[in-house]
Amino acid sequence: MRGEEILALFPEKYRDRWRETASLAEHLQEIRLRADRPFMILSDNRESFVSSQGRIVDRQEEAGTSTSEELDEILNHLCRYSLYAFADEIRQGFLTVQGGHRVGLAGQVILDDRGRIKNMRYVRYLNIRISHQIIGAADPLIPFLFEGGKVMSTLLISPPGGGKTTLLRDLIRQVSEGTMYGPGVNVSVVDERSEIAGSYLGIARNDVGIRTDVLDGCPKVEGMMRLIRSMAPQVLAVDELGSTEDVQALQMASGCGCKLLATIHGGSLEEVKHKNYMRYVVEEGMFERYVMLNRKKSVCRVEGIYDKEGKPCIR
Amino acid sequence: MYKIAGVLCILAGCIGWGSMRIGQEQERIRHLRMLFHIMGQMRSEISYGKHTLPEICLSLSELNDNYYKMCFKRIFERTQMESSSAFPEVWEAEMKSCLERLPLREDERRTVEELPKTLNLREENGQAGRVGQTETFLEGRYRQAEEACENRSKMIRSVSILTGLLLAILLL
Repeated sequence: MRGEEILALFPEKYRDRWRETASLAEHLQEIRLRADRPFMILSDNRESFVSSQGRIVDRQEEAGTSTSEELDEILNHLCRYSLYAFADEIRQGFLTVQGGHRVGLAGQVILDDRGRIKNMRYVRYLNIRISHQIIGAADPLIPFLFEGGKVMSTLLISPPGGGKTTLLRDLIRQVSEGTMYGPGVNVSVVDERSEIAGSYLGIARNDVGIRTDVLDGCPKVEGMMRLIRSMAPQVLAVDELGSTEDVQALQMASGCGCKLLATIHGGSLEEVKHKNYMRYVVEEGMFERYVMLNRKKSVCRVEGIYDKEGKPCIR
Repeated sequence: MYKIAGVLCILAGCIGWGSMRIGQEQERIRHLRMLFHIMGQMRSEISYGKHTLPEICLSLSELNDNYYKMCFKRIFERTQMESSSAFPEVWEAEMKSCLERLPLREDERRTVEELPKTLNLREENGQAGRVGQTETFLEGRYRQAEEACENRSKMIRSVSILTGLLLAILLL
């Protein structure tokens, strides 16, 4: 299924070339396409090349290369021949496609008269990051995240590619459906980049649980307040906190009695504490659990689970 | 007796031919009206809804309970659900088979069939503007055809009756 999804990222005429790569779907992390540069893939943290016939090879000399026209066609196909509908995403440098896969874009930016990025043209670099739903990924965490039958506000911390979103997705699913540590509760998700639920035509394609409501493509700050007012969630989930506004909205949500599930980029709990916008949150103990993740030898691992004072949890 | 029956048949045939021509013209007007309404819906879906073209085709298939319903549904299914073919090719092929039976003029048909060639802009207002150009073209053709239709209908009807009478006189 994932293989077909990956093949569907390419226009029909290029699919044969990507068939072998798509067969690695479960292990595939990235497909990198650069104009006049070799096709590269990252699978199990190992870099390989793809020949123009579609074979996966180790030698760069055997690799096929992308042309500018091919990249234009792929971008058009990814945007369903509706570039205008993805203008905001292109401006931000990435777009999320069906299945929750994220495609990073680089090329020449067009600036407006205030010097802000207005759009991007000559997109000549694509990085297709394959999303993975791993059912049960959050199993080891669950016993530590419930207390008295209630889920605790949790922040997942990891460097990029550490598996935060995958873990958050499964956590949402389990909290929503209920576990042996607590019954299922209503979860609302602000899925700003459509990565968590992988929604298509408004319907979540990933399994995020039976009591989960998803606000797709909405900025976090606006989305959180909207969901609190409209969906009365017991748990609110967001991906990638990154600004003071995000944190202020989380504080409001917490003040309304919602439990929070969130992720943030960071190499350690200390590093997160030193982010300006996070200091107050950590000091106030808004999150009752911090989960530190890391990727070692191509496997995402839970490095540690800490309580709100930063002490390791052992149960 | 036979002669009278023959004259009546000739007259009926000529009037029928005339009515068919008028019917064809009215059919063309009806389709031009539907097509420019569809372009209008498409334009507003692009500029206000920011939907993708396949999604727009789905909503057009739901909004239009007419001849075009199935055509738009097939375009949506082929481009989105099966996700196999490029939108411009699917649109062109589906529109070709949908429009070929209609009494539209060649340039009107080609304008609709080749619409996706103009749809590769990166900004919704510009994109809506391009669809708006097709809408304006079709609307212009519709207004022209409607204006001309009344006079032409009278003329075709008169000519067909006169032709019938002339034929009848000549054959008598």
